[in-house]
Amino acid sequence: MTSELDSGGARSAGDKARARAYHRDFWPGILGYGIVLTAVLLWGDLDGPSPWRYVWALLPVIPAGWVVRAVVRHVSRIDDYQRMLLLKGLAVGFAVAMIASLTVGFLGIAGLALPAAGWIVYGAGMLGWAVAAAVAQ
Amino acid sequence: MKNRLKELREDRGWTQGALADQLDVSRQTINALETGRYDPSLPLAFRIARLFAQPIEAIFQPESDSISP
Repeated sequence: MTSELDSGGARSAGDKARARAYHRDFWPGILGYGIVLTAVLLWGDLDGPSPWRYVWALLPVIPAGWVVRAVVRHVSRIDDYQRMLLLKGLAVGFAVAMIASLTVGFLGIAGLALPAAGWIVYGAGMLGWAVAAAVAQ
Repeated sequence: MKNRLKELREDRGWTQGALADQLDVSRQTINALETGRYDPSLPLAFRIARLFAQPIEAIFQPESDSISP
């Protein structure tokens, strides 16, 4: 039975502070990624002849690294139970992505080359993570 | 593992969020502890015991079928 002291789904002050810290870390990285990605698409000339196209292609890794840093810092801020839920989701997402990668590879060997194989693997991994995280809550 | 966390918290008139802040964990974690979905780590169990000024075994009791002879 829920008592009046059980504050429903309301977050505590600590939860809000941790969420704010995560957003402060995360969003500059995403914003930077969007800006760099736009610049690459506008001026990178990735299918052109310039040798600089390889540098352009690698540029988005820099702001993406900032996002990874934000996630690592978030994992170190949350408590053991939340970390367990998060890592369970990540583990399932990783397993699904690996299976998707192998499946796409075998299909390629069998003669069915999928045009957006990388995106299929990415989507499968993210979907696996999202579903596992929702089930674990 | 069974625990008296909810009873002890309600005796003091604290919300789950207030207890979470005192233990430096999330409200979700307090809810998981109270509903038996999560057994705390030893450091967290000690923090809970210290906060309520009771020994750990007065707050947490193993399920009877998990005690080995």
